[in-house]
Amino acid sequence: MESNDLVYILPLLITGFGAIVLMLMSTFKTVHIRAGAGFALVFLSLAMLIDIYNLNNNGKAYSIFPFSETFGNMIVVDTFSSYFSSLIILGGILTILIGLHYFEKYKQFTVEFFSLFLFSVFGMILLVHSNELITAFISLEIASLSLYVMIGFQKVIDRRVEASFKYLVLGSLASVFFLLGIALIYAATQTTKIGEIGEFIAINIESDMTLVITGTTMILVTFLFKIAAFPFQNWALDVYDGAPLPVTSFIAATFKAAIFGFIMRLILVDFDLLRDFWDQMLVYITIFTLAYGSFLAIIQSSIKRMLVASSIVHTGYLLIGFIAIGVVGESGASSIIFYLFAYFLSAIGAFGLIAYIASEDGLRITYNDFKGFAHIRPYMAAMLSVFMLSLAGIPSTIGFVGKFYIFTGAIQAGYSVLAIFGILATLVSIYYYFRLIAIMYFYPSAHLQNVPPLKGIAPLVIGVIALLIIWGGIGNSLISYFPGVDFLIAMAKESYESLFIPLT
Amino acid sequence: MDFGILSVIIFLPMFVASLLVFMPVGPKMTRNIAFATSIVIFFLAGVVYLNFSNSGYMQFREYHEWITSYGIYYSLGIDGFSLIILMLIATLIPCAYLLLWNGRTKGYWVSMLLIQTGICGTLFAQDLFLFYFFWEAMLLPVFMIIGMFGTGNRVFSTIKITIYTIAGSLFMFICILYMGVAFFNEFGVWSFQLNDLVQITTLSRDERIWLFLGFMLAFAIKIPLFPFHTWLLETYSNSPTGGVFLLSSIMAKLGVYGIVRFVMPLFPKLYVEFAPYFVWLGIFGLIYFGIAALMQINIKKMFAYSSASHLGFIVTGIFSLNSYGMTGAAFLITAHAMATGGLFLLVGKMEWNMGIRAIPDLGGIAKKAPIFTVFFMLMLLSIVGLPGTNGFVSEFLIILGAYEFQSYAGIVSSLTVLIAASFMFWMFQRAILQESDNDVSSMVDLDKKEILGLLPLAILIIAMGVAPDLFFYKIYPTIQHYLVDILGIR
Repeated sequence: MESNDLVYILPLLITGFGAIVLMLMSTFKTVHIRAGAGFALVFLSLAMLIDIYNLNNNGKAYSIFPFSETFGNMIVVDTFSSYFSSLIILGGILTILIGLHYFEKYKQFTVEFFSLFLFSVFGMILLVHSNELITAFISLEIASLSLYVMIGFQKVIDRRVEASFKYLVLGSLASVFFLLGIALIYAATQTTKIGEIGEFIAINIESDMTLVITGTTMILVTFLFKIAAFPFQNWALDVYDGAPLPVTSFIAATFKAAIFGFIMRLILVDFDLLRDFWDQMLVYITIFTLAYGSFLAIIQSSIKRMLVASSIVHTGYLLIGFIAIGVVGESGASSIIFYLFAYFLSAIGAFGLIAYIASEDGLRITYNDFKGFAHIRPYMAAMLSVFMLSLAGIPSTIGFVGKFYIFTGAIQAGYSVLAIFGILATLVSIYYYFRLIAIMYFYPSAHLQNVPPLKGIAPLVIGVIALLIIWGGIGNSLISYFPGVDFLIAMAKESYESLFIPLT
Repeated sequence: MDFGILSVIIFLPMFVASLLVFMPVGPKMTRNIAFATSIVIFFLAGVVYLNFSNSGYMQFREYHEWITSYGIYYSLGIDGFSLIILMLIATLIPCAYLLLWNGRTKGYWVSMLLIQTGICGTLFAQDLFLFYFFWEAMLLPVFMIIGMFGTGNRVFSTIKITIYTIAGSLFMFICILYMGVAFFNEFGVWSFQLNDLVQITTLSRDERIWLFLGFMLAFAIKIPLFPFHTWLLETYSNSPTGGVFLLSSIMAKLGVYGIVRFVMPLFPKLYVEFAPYFVWLGIFGLIYFGIAALMQINIKKMFAYSSASHLGFIVTGIFSLNSYGMTGAAFLITAHAMATGGLFLLVGKMEWNMGIRAIPDLGGIAKKAPIFTVFFMLMLLSIVGLPGTNGFVSEFLIILGAYEFQSYAGIVSSLTVLIAASFMFWMFQRAILQESDNDVSSMVDLDKKEILGLLPLAILIIAMGVAPDLFFYKIYPTIQHYLVDILGIR
């Protein structure tokens, strides 16, 4: 069955191979940045196709350890990981497509950038596929290190370098916690494999678990840091804001999905029995994340910073689902999986659109710069409104279904209080999202210069994302062969089930 | 997959609106198409009315799978109570279009069409998830129409009304989810259908009270009931005519509709138990907003308060727990929608001609625009409740219902109906009849189209006042059904 196994890790191999090819290409100064982007897209699309092929699997959940003798069960391919890896690759593809205009506009981006980009995608895919803590650590570092460089890539701009350095220092510190956590868990259980740790806990549940709990807490700290939850959120605003916009969207939407993909596997498979220990703490963390994120988002005057701050709020919503997992595993986990997709689409659309607008004139940064934007660019304003509505969770967008899902899970798990806090945060979010729509539509345009026609593929891609968002909110079996909300929910459930397929 | 007539009524305006957005048609053509659409819907509603069999149960059911893993259905239906509101919408909207005929832009008409879709969807939805979907989606075109075409500090008022109403509806959303989860825990399957959720037995009394209040909050903000009315004044006075017309004559009624449709069957015991509070809250609103209306010097603001005052009275009617009060409330919903809607349109015309003016800056309009004055007076008499108009029938019935509920309630409400008379006639005398030195030369009398738009309303106001049974016999079985089967009274 070796040849079959190859198909399962092919997406991983293709992305890694692509990264190396691009790195080699970058030594030739004659290679245009477009060629680099084109190659990256080709590799990612190939990987995506294979992932979708794997994911399909005749509609059944599956779980496989490819080349189990070579890798020693360190890598797992199941519906869950394939779902996340196709999400990550999709994120990569969309980021390049939307960001291309931006990358071309600012001369500092070179082909190496795309090599790093593929490396970070590679790291993230590996992360969601990893079934072992050290593999997870390495893949997390591959992804993070590439991101550190990508953030500071425009080295002529001070803010970029500052953001990069800040992220490097703090991110490394967070990674140290991860390592320490692994060491402690290994000390107690003599294994680093996910699944075996769980078995150890199940057998020795009566004995002293201090080391395991401490170790897992350390890992959770890294996790909370990476997703920018309270009290580890302070870096997010500066780093995200300092990063080039396409990179920001990539970190906010895609990296977050990867991190959640790994940590959910870890918690669900391994530490389900010990969850009580963290529940109380996580409840407070969630509430503070929601509250502080909302507060930060209100006080921003720059659209980019507002979106970044609101991404902290969305982390809070995801954490609500994360807590619900403990009581209602299936709906909790699939609500996170669904919400990640919903947020992913809306955020990548919003950030991407802002990036496109910024690359066009570089003038529109604050709320007030968008005055009357709808009269200059009706198409873009409509798209941006769709993204704002989806982020705010207004019916007829996918964001609404995501929120419905998360809150239902929370209530089902008996955490109605968290659902109410979630509702309050949503209410506040109406203010900062609708404010942008109001400013775009309700004021006459401040600067009515000649409007250049829309260029490139970005507007098209953004339009497709907007349509997907609306379809995700209302889509049903009206069009028989086109997957709608139902399909996405079923997919999320299937991914969850694949985590618990017994080893064969 | 087949869709019934209710789906067509809901989605036709949206379909037309989205076509219009993408087609290069001018504002005039857009208006003509929008008007034609509203006429088509009028006839469709007529078909529904004629085929509506005279019983108290849901008819014209439609049922399609939507989000199956959560048991969410696209399910529609209509009973006698929704039927009269449907007929109201179908009649009022084409009339309103005739009065808004000139000078509106394309976005205005598109928003109007979208609002119509939202209203009808809310009115027909039998699945709470679907209901919430339309309830909140309806806000978007309202947001746009006030923000883009309003006057004054419109951006602030749009944000304010949006946050206000979404605040209410989000808590209702949590309540809906809570009930869905309770149903799942009890029966093992997901459902958000109204018919299913009424079967829940596991909720404790405390939980029910919280859920009841959560639902009531959303509807009370929309109506608006005292003390959730603080968005009202600004929104009404800053809205464009079309927006304020829809808000006052139709959308506010949807709050009442929501109480009857959802709160009553979901919490019948609490509905009866809390009825005294809401009857008195309604009467208090009648008095409070009536006095507030007396103080206003801006006609739009006065009508905003007068509208809130009547809506308080409608709430008194639906909580009076007897057939007089409930029928009266249904009457007043139609009567008030026609009269207030007509008045707001007339005031809108006045503003269109002369700009926004306070009452003391007007006067002498009767001479300049006699036909205008006749229609204005007729609507006004209906609001005041003069015998012979539909306003009289409805107010009389509600007072009777309130009297049967508690004799004090009846007495107090019958006395306070007079407040409306005082502020209305006072305003009418100062703004319209009285000769003054103010320059009102820019006022133009109604043209043919506007007369054509107002004539059906005027005829209905009188016809319904003279022969109410002719129009309302289809609602009696529904009200009996509510009282006997749902609330278990007599």
